[in-house]
Amino acid sequence: MSDPAAPPVQRTSRWVLLLHTITFRQARALVPAVLGLGAARGFDGGTVTVVVLVVGVTLLSLLWATLSWWRFSYAVGESSVVVTRGLLSRSVRTVPLDRVRGVEVEAPALHRLFGLVRLKVDAAAGSVGATGEELVVDGVTRAEGDRLRALLLVARLPPARGRHAASAELDPDVPQDHDEVVTRFDPRWLLYSPLVGGYLAVPLAAFGALFRLLEEVPDRFVPDLDRPGLPDGTLAALVLAGGLVLLVGGSVAGSAVVNWRFRLVRRGGSLIATRGLVTRRHTELEIDRIRGCTVSQGVGMRLVGAARASALVTGLGDAARRGQLLPLGPQDQAWALADRLVEPTGPLRRHPAAARRRSVVRGVVPGVLVLVAGVALTALAGWWPLLVTGAVLTALGVPLGLARHAATGHATGPRSFAVRSGWLVREHVVLQRRAVVGWQVSQSFFQRRGGLATVLACVGAGSGGYAARDMAADEAADFARAASGSWADTLSPAR
Amino acid sequence: MSTAQPAPAREPAWSLSRSAISLWVAQGVVATVVEALVVAALIVFVPSDAGVWTVLVRWVAPVVVLVTAVVDIGVQPRLRYRVHRWEVTADAVYTLTGWLNRTWTLVPISRIQTVDVNRGLVQQLFGLATVAVLTASSQGTVRIPHLEVEVARRVAEDLARRAEQVRDEAT
Repeated sequence: MSDPAAPPVQRTSRWVLLLHTITFRQARALVPAVLGLGAARGFDGGTVTVVVLVVGVTLLSLLWATLSWWRFSYAVGESSVVVTRGLLSRSVRTVPLDRVRGVEVEAPALHRLFGLVRLKVDAAAGSVGATGEELVVDGVTRAEGDRLRALLLVARLPPARGRHAASAELDPDVPQDHDEVVTRFDPRWLLYSPLVGGYLAVPLAAFGALFRLLEEVPDRFVPDLDRPGLPDGTLAALVLAGGLVLLVGGSVAGSAVVNWRFRLVRRGGSLIATRGLVTRRHTELEIDRIRGCTVSQGVGMRLVGAARASALVTGLGDAARRGQLLPLGPQDQAWALADRLVEPTGPLRRHPAAARRRSVVRGVVPGVLVLVAGVALTALAGWWPLLVTGAVLTALGVPLGLARHAATGHATGPRSFAVRSGWLVREHVVLQRRAVVGWQVSQSFFQRRGGLATVLACVGAGSGGYAARDMAADEAADFARAASGSWADTLSPAR
Repeated sequence: MSTAQPAPAREPAWSLSRSAISLWVAQGVVATVVEALVVAALIVFVPSDAGVWTVLVRWVAPVVVLVTAVVDIGVQPRLRYRVHRWEVTADAVYTLTGWLNRTWTLVPISRIQTVDVNRGLVQQLFGLATVAVLTASSQGTVRIPHLEVEVARRVAEDLARRAEQVRDEAT
């Protein structure tokens, strides 16, 4: 900024028009309407109708993109950033620079073709969660993106470094002298992907989309495949093996696309994560705002000793994705990272025997309900499969309950505390004492009989609350006191 | 109630306005009337030769309505009034809510972000208001339900003023 008194109003790059026209960014909303219209009138007009439609929609898209581009402007001033937009109603949004919590620079594949980037600005908000709090500047040149990032984050730099140092910061992908690399993704870690639910879903979703597409294809285009002359057993085995290979390959590929060349570096007071094969993402987290860490491990990941680590940061939108410090890797690495950011607590305290009983009861109840229904059906209609299902579910409920209980625990350290829960995905959360903005102790009717209580630490980061379920009721107040501060003494029962 | 087990946390000092009982009774009455109307409509519209359904609608449903009416009007309001308590200490807001399941909520004044006073439709009839204390956490909200309007207003003002003075980062 050359003139601090009146910051120049700026527009995004013109190339973004082309970009948005091709991707139908604004016109996407029209597609269902057009399809509906087409379905009502019938698409039997042949090629002419289709061409007219395509040209029409493209023109509309171009028009819309132009209008939005024309009405969109931004200005970064000495103390705030102002974004003006809106087709009919004008919306002017002013965000003070000291409320900017983070800036994400994104370069999707098409953007890269034109040398453009997309900036997402996180502005601090009371209750985290709404994506509406985010400011997006879509389609500026790479250099302008970096300049903006530096300007927006200037408010957080120590005064000694000043503005020049800030604007001198370059492309985040290019390492700098004072960077300290915290984590570098080892491609071998991709082999963990098939054991992670989220990545397994990638090939499954692709299959789903493919099959839906196949159903749309008119019959005359579908090749008439003869059944190969193989015995049924072999065919089934082949299909199964093929599916398995595709599933494993797909999940590895999906995970590679997202996590490609993941790198976490420390630069000044921030942690910067870069990753992605097609869309290169760059997220900056302020270390000062980190309140805790989670290390989560699914069933499969526990088998091979893999884990995922995320930071809990106040005022960070879309925290589950942006807070990731290690998307996938060996658990030692995940723990080293977590311990570095939040002081480790001692070993976890297990919850009492009453909690184990309760956990087993909770595991068994659904099975018992099915069992009762099965007994009724067998007696009334002689239909027994439900009875067997119920018995199996009931039997499985016992180990499930035990495993869930084994996963729970809590601990307090000198400056931090931890809670752990979950069997399908085990989540170990370590939080700083200062993270706690409130306590919620709850006791259901049954918990009261068992002398148990659930203690929820309310935190202005991550999911908003982290619970230690079924701890001994008489430990609740002491835990809260040890995990936050003297103000929590209010909870202590008079003794 | 089982009595042997000690509570996990201390009881806050102050109870709600007695009008809260009337309000809960009123809510119970409204709920019962709605349920009764639904069941009456079902009795009229379900034919008498529908087998199991006829029995369910004619005998089981009215009994269920009757039982919930007794609980909602006769038992629950008084029990709730006995359980519900609140307190503003030197450095925190503290409440206890619920009747069968109980919840103690504690928020330090230094972490308060906003304080709201809400008056629902039924609350206005009984001259009551709810004070909601919001923090940076979506789960860390304290609600002190059914205070007398004047009390609620004073509490909210006092909390907002004190929060302003002692606020640190509030996150």
